[in-house]
Amino acid sequence: MAPHGDGSNAAEEAIAAQLEKRPISTVVIIIAMQTEALPLVDTFQLVEDRDSVFPKDAPWLWYHGIYRDLNINLIWPGKDPTLGIDSVGTISASLVTYASICALQPDLIINAGTSGGFKAKGASIGDVFLASEVAFHDRRIPIPVFDLYGVGLRQAFPTPNLLKELNLKAGKLSTGDSLEMSSQDEATIFANDATVKDMEGAAVAYVADMLKVPTIFIKAVTDIVDGGKPTAEEFLQNLATVTAALGQSITQVIDFINGKSLSEL
Amino acid sequence: MAPLGDGSDAAEEAIAGQLVNRPISTVVIVIAMQTEALPLVEKFQLVEDSESPFPKGVPWVRYYGTYKELNINLIWPGKDPSLGVDSVGTISASLVTYASICALQPDLIINAGTCGGFKAKGASISDVFVASEVAFHDRRIPIPVFDVYGVGLRQTFPTPNLLKEINLKAGKLSTGDSLDMSPQDEASIIANDATVKDMEGAAVAYVADLMKVPAIFVKAVTDIVDGEKPTAEEFLQNLATVTATLCLSVTQIIDFISGKCLSEL
Repeated sequence: MAPHGDGSNAAEEAIAAQLEKRPISTVVIIIAMQTEALPLVDTFQLVEDRDSVFPKDAPWLWYHGIYRDLNINLIWPGKDPTLGIDSVGTISASLVTYASICALQPDLIINAGTSGGFKAKGASIGDVFLASEVAFHDRRIPIPVFDLYGVGLRQAFPTPNLLKELNLKAGKLSTGDSLEMSSQDEATIFANDATVKDMEGAAVAYVADMLKVPTIFIKAVTDIVDGGKPTAEEFLQNLATVTAALGQSITQVIDFINGKSLSEL
Repeated sequence: MAPLGDGSDAAEEAIAGQLVNRPISTVVIVIAMQTEALPLVEKFQLVEDSESPFPKGVPWVRYYGTYKELNINLIWPGKDPSLGVDSVGTISASLVTYASICALQPDLIINAGTCGGFKAKGASISDVFVASEVAFHDRRIPIPVFDVYGVGLRQTFPTPNLLKEINLKAGKLSTGDSLDMSPQDEASIIANDATVKDMEGAAVAYVADLMKVPAIFVKAVTDIVDGEKPTAEEFLQNLATVTATLCLSVTQIIDFISGKCLSEL
């Protein structure tokens, strides 16, 4: 998301332009599942913060540390307090994005995680995509303008140099709160022209846009949605290996970002 | 939601016990649409908080005032900054619930608004329901325990005296981000045994439960989902008159609550 908001006055735009040229200092990485998060905590030698920036009742975890010239903050929404499984989905993602921006004022947000891919759009297991744009596919409100609001289409912060340098694939990301895909969801995903499908991206985008924080989305494919295997089975089968690939890609992205300003991405 | 959390120690339980027996002081009313909110703003003579407790850039509006023995805060997520429509749905609802709890520390949350009703379950246009429980119908994750997480079933804070005193109907509330209803949504709604269907309730419930704040849900029927008329059309037709009815009911509820503690509701 470009940091300039609607209705910014000239002074705000000038400040924002300066920020874009200043080296990125604070990064927030938002990751929904512990399995996806822990390899990165390890790679960047991040430490879990006991005196959390979050309210004590929230299960959200904040790992942080300095890596080269960056303050890295990895936010995981934690395990559901009642059910003990990862707090996946759009609500948790939007809450931690909001709370992290308020507490940490990042220069850049990276939403990273696994996703389903569409082979008809060129996706394969293990691919890592950088989303060009994000949208919802399960928020259908058939009233003029509300329909657009429901889809929530947003452009990711443009990173042409990152894409070229790291040889990541680019594709459109579609978000919904279901792991499976109903035929209505499928129709909307098709309308969104998505290559990859996840459960958080468009929610992170919504909050980041509202608070004017540039955001990029890195998604690794664990399952082929338009393939033969049932999603849940394929996802669970590939989760471990694909999160390793995801970890490597994110490390490369962080290394690329280090020392650069937003406008150099 | 009962105010006691899992793992509360004896001291916390004693404090929570005292709070349950102290008169309710601060109420937060979460309302998604301006049309639903303004009659109540007028009725309780609330004023818009120009020094918003929320960060710059969010469209959320706090109206506040004292009414009888209560500090009333009415929170409306505002118009979408890009599109200009009410910020309906689960993401906005969860964000404003979280932000309001952090800023205002309410004793009780009331999520009020319009809804669809199922005539097969006894609902008619203009009925006002107090939800007995809430759940999602559009978060289908077919992995053990994740499935339960997706549904997010929660009991609402019990208010037997309120129900007896103010002749409101009781029924189960099902929440989803679509105004329409796909066959999969319908199947989940039936599994949820819902009488009424909205776009925010279960999200407010999730956050309120996480943050240990009791919450109740007051929903007025604008359209019959299992009737003949298309939802969007019927909803828009009845919105104005039904919000007037909703306002009356919420007023009665606030009058009932004033001077009472949680355990007397």
